Amino acid sequence: MTAAVPEPVGSDGGPMTDIAAVDRNGSGAGYSEAVPVAVWRLAWMISQERRREFWGSYIAFVLFFAFPALTGYIMGAAFDALTDGSSRRLYWMAGALAVAEILRLAILHYGAVTFTRCWYLMKSLMQGNMLIGQVSSGGIDAGQPVGSAGRSVTRFRDDTEDVALFIDGWLDVSGAFVFAVIALWIMAAIDLMATAVVLVPMAAVAVATKMLDTRIKYYRRADREATAAVTGLVGDVMAGATTVKVNDAVEPVVDRLRDLVDVRRHTATRDRVFDDALQSVTTGSGDVAMGLVLIVAAGAIASGRFDLGELVLFTVYLGWLGFFPRMIGRTIARFNQATVAFNGMRWLVAGQDPERVAVHRNLPVAKPGEVERELPARVPLDELRVQGLTAVYAGGEAGIHDISFAVPRGSFTVVTGPVGAGKSTLLRAVLGLSWQAAHESGRVLWNGVEIEDRAAFFVPPQAAFLSQVPQLLSDSLADNILLGADVAASGSTVSSAADELDPLWWALAVASVDSDVADMVDGVDTLIGPRGLRLSGGQRQRVAAARALVQRPELLVLDDLSSAVDVETELRLWSNLAAAGITVIAVSHRKVAFDRADQLLTLDNGRLV
Amino acid sequence: MSVRTDNHWRALVDLIRPELARYGGLSVAVTVTALLPLVGPLLIGRIVDDVAGGAGSGTVVRYGLAYLTVTAAAQLISVGTTWYANTIAWRTANDLRLSLTRHVLGLDHEFHRTHTPGELIQRIDGDVTSVSDFLGRVLANIAAAVMTVVGVLVVLSVIDWRLGLMMVVYTAIGGVMLALLRDGAIAETERTMSSSARLYGGIEERLTAAEDLRSNGAGAHAIRRFVDDATANLHHHVDEEHAFMRLWWGLQGSVAGGAVLALILGGWLVSIDAISLGAAFVLFQYVQIIRRPMEDIVDRIEMVQKASAAMVRVAKLRAERPSIVDPTHPHSPPPGPLSVGFEHVDFDYGDGQPVLTGIDLELPAGRTVGVVGRTGGGKSTLSRLVLRLVDATSGTVRLGGVPITDIPLAELRHRVALIPQEVQLVHGSIRDNVTLFDPEPSDDEVADAIRQVGLESLLDQPNGGTVGGIHAPLSGGGSGLSAGESQLVALARVWLRNPDLVVLDEATARIDPETEARLHLAVGRLLEGRTAIIIAHRLSTLREVDDIVVVHDGRILEHGRRVDLEADSDGRFRRLLDLALETEDDEQTGADHDGGVLS
Repeated sequence: MTAAVPEPVGSDGGPMTDIAAVDRNGSGAGYSEAVPVAVWRLAWMISQERRREFWGSYIAFVLFFAFPALTGYIMGAAFDALTDGSSRRLYWMAGALAVAEILRLAILHYGAVTFTRCWYLMKSLMQGNMLIGQVSSGGIDAGQPVGSAGRSVTRFRDDTEDVALFIDGWLDVSGAFVFAVIALWIMAAIDLMATAVVLVPMAAVAVATKMLDTRIKYYRRADREATAAVTGLVGDVMAGATTVKVNDAVEPVVDRLRDLVDVRRHTATRDRVFDDALQSVTTGSGDVAMGLVLIVAAGAIASGRFDLGELVLFTVYLGWLGFFPRMIGRTIARFNQATVAFNGMRWLVAGQDPERVAVHRNLPVAKPGEVERELPARVPLDELRVQGLTAVYAGGEAGIHDISFAVPRGSFTVVTGPVGAGKSTLLRAVLGLSWQAAHESGRVLWNGVEIEDRAAFFVPPQAAFLSQVPQLLSDSLADNILLGADVAASGSTVSSAADELDPLWWALAVASVDSDVADMVDGVDTLIGPRGLRLSGGQRQRVAAARALVQRPELLVLDDLSSAVDVETELRLWSNLAAAGITVIAVSHRKVAFDRADQLLTLDNGRLV
Repeated sequence: MSVRTDNHWRALVDLIRPELARYGGLSVAVTVTALLPLVGPLLIGRIVDDVAGGAGSGTVVRYGLAYLTVTAAAQLISVGTTWYANTIAWRTANDLRLSLTRHVLGLDHEFHRTHTPGELIQRIDGDVTSVSDFLGRVLANIAAAVMTVVGVLVVLSVIDWRLGLMMVVYTAIGGVMLALLRDGAIAETERTMSSSARLYGGIEERLTAAEDLRSNGAGAHAIRRFVDDATANLHHHVDEEHAFMRLWWGLQGSVAGGAVLALILGGWLVSIDAISLGAAFVLFQYVQIIRRPMEDIVDRIEMVQKASAAMVRVAKLRAERPSIVDPTHPHSPPPGPLSVGFEHVDFDYGDGQPVLTGIDLELPAGRTVGVVGRTGGGKSTLSRLVLRLVDATSGTVRLGGVPITDIPLAELRHRVALIPQEVQLVHGSIRDNVTLFDPEPSDDEVADAIRQVGLESLLDQPNGGTVGGIHAPLSGGGSGLSAGESQLVALARVWLRNPDLVVLDEATARIDPETEARLHLAVGRLLEGRTAIIIAHRLSTLREVDDIVVVHDGRILEHGRRVDLEADSDGRFRRLLDLALETEDDEQTGADHDGGVLS
């Protein structure tokens, strides 16, 4: 007959989160390397990002958790009145109870909504920091690109959740602690012996939580593995349904699947039963404590010293006290999850430093203000010079060695060479995009001045880059090309035959995608679908080219286009760029490019030949 | 079993039927679990009344012991019930998984072409898990909640009818209030979920495009979108919390109201001597107890909706019917190598665009035939017809003179084998990959097949000295194998089955020359004494075939002995050969497109 303690509302991710953290951490090389994290300090920093929300909800939740001390007392007093036959006092107490409950709910409402905001803002801070780490061109904020977006999304969604859950635990434990102190003090004043005996099942719950938590984690892991085996087999055979069919292997496959689902039945049942058992121990501990109280205080009860009002008070308090050890156990578990989470999140931020996940950032989430994209000031190019550029990779990726060349303003430089010669590597190294390189050396000079942070410098209007597989976003065409920049503001020094033309349409025309766009019903406002999949492969490439062109960069760097555009389109592009007077470095295999090149760089095995 | 999609609950009953006895046992366990917690307050109530009647501490101790026993038993039985419910539910769900897998694997080629493996995993595993959660947790939980409420009503009515009446009114008001508020909360949850999907979808997209954003200096643009999405998401979360709190007000408010009401009603009934003090205590406690089941019901409604939607999808999947089915009048072709015949065969994929038109072809038993032609010209469709992955729109395909639609499917699958371009490997041992889990072939036979196709290197790989040979896991689910080695695994699969007709569908298209030489040898050995159809991408793979068929735009342009066609300088095949030679020269200059001349 335990009163259920409401979970901190809307703030509990449920038991799935802890094993998710374990699995995420365990999977994949490079992510398993853990560093010591000052979890308390980082979590504290995060919690203080929005002080008003945090402290408002903190006080509200402590009050909310401590409140049953008062309501229990009122209920006891009500039954005292009932025993005494004092109806008047009973009605007063009933009224007091009603008021107290309304107050408690109001406090909860305020606390829950405030904490939801706090919770969300804490997550946004971590998410914002990670995103900034991933999309910053250079400077102190730029982290290593992690690629594998699918897996990284769990860092944004689940790892931030784990940290927020840990902070949430502070509220629970503080409130439960205040309640426990008050409740035990009142109970001890009534009957010291009975109160002492109450501590026995409480301690048992603490121990059981500690023991079973480890088991449950182990069991959940086993269940996850059994589940993965089932979905793995189903996925394999569905991907190869034809193979299974033509090999007449349906029955053997089903037999194998039967073995796997049988294993999973055991793991899943075990997992859920243990979860349930832990719940039972928690809810049961209050009942057991009550039974012990009845036995220990039997004499007092029989003599009337321990009366009905006190019995009621004990039952109410014991119902809530049972949750205290469990909350502490859970918060300890969440501490471990938070450690794992910080270790996962740090890969996305600069220097892989967990501190930078928690660093204060005044992002205008749910408050006035806007993030503005500001273009750096234009530095007109006279000459780009590359000196002894070397980039070596640990894996099998092609590296480059000691490459030097110069690119005068308005010239067209073509890079060519066989597959794996290091063409893309060269372009990336020049632009400071070779993040994964194990070793990098050499200098890049712009008008004779060495550029230290090349990734930060080589952005429009200085330089633009078009990779082999450019990525578009699920916005409109215009958004994809402008990327939030105000084109009119960028005074170009690059001449164009059509200066009066709107820069957007000029870029579309140079990239030879203007007629495609003109044919679309919504023109430049056309929504291009997730990753631009509503466009054809060639259109995507040319839209990305327009994106690179729209700021009329001093230097345009193009990786191989030939897989996406035909010879005629490529020829037209080179002519358009030459007409616009843009300095170009491009990878190409085609004669049309060689014919127009002012300079041909042939690479083999990472060296200039 | 007939399943109509609009009647999915019938389907659920059908699922449960084989385990009816077990579900009966479960109901008993659930009832006990639901009713035992009602005993505790009754015992304390008795203590109160007996003490008032002058009972000594011995009586109190006895009640205390009883209280301990009952509450401990209640928890134990509750855990036992969970175990029982889960075991049964998983049994049912697993049967469903197996039958769905069998069913889906039996569906047409076209079905698999239009459904991704990810989607099918979701249907076969995700949806069924929803159903099994419903059976194992939700159903038992809701049943227990209802039993508790009924039990409370009965006990209180026995004590005094007015207590029962109060509880009925209280439960009814609470129930109606929850039902009203719940819908609002669910609607908010859906809105929050879709705004979260937008937030994380946007993050994922921007991470994928991270390099483009960096090199365009557009980080701030990505952050702005994140801030916008996060702000919207935050507002949705706050709205959801408000809706949830309204629900909470309803729930907790009714409990608190019930407690106040219980105090007043109890006080009044005690004052008129209608009930004892102990009974007033019981009433008060039951108001608290009944909160839990009401919370449970609210909690689980969403899972019921989820399970119901899942059941609809499962029923839909089961309603899919294959068009390729066993013949009503089966007929077996003669043993030995199979001849292949096409008579006026037309084919389209149901969209009215002809893929093959008027195909007439006779391939004698035991010969090796190369099929060449442009990609999209209908070569692969020819192979699918021979494998009966699709049926001709009109005309007849014959194997060994028997119409293919008259051959029992099991026999057909046994006698006709395919080596596809992309070999699907499975997570498992080498043996699993060769036998596709068939326990029949002995280990020696499997090992022999692997050696015959020249894959013995696979058997010698170091395995840490524990398990070796064919029971070693294929490293990384086969990711360690080259495309060529995967082809050899497919070859071993075919070798083991000793078929009478082998179809190689562009089996060497993505293989490097060195592996191709290895494969070539193994293929030559495999094809001895069998009929073979080799669909080729590179003409170099056709150096040793007997006959050549040139397919173009769904028609047969040329068919004849290879030596004759090679000699015919005006022929299509000859022209293709010449073109191939040119491009191969081109390839040596270092251009890095793949060497397929026909694609």
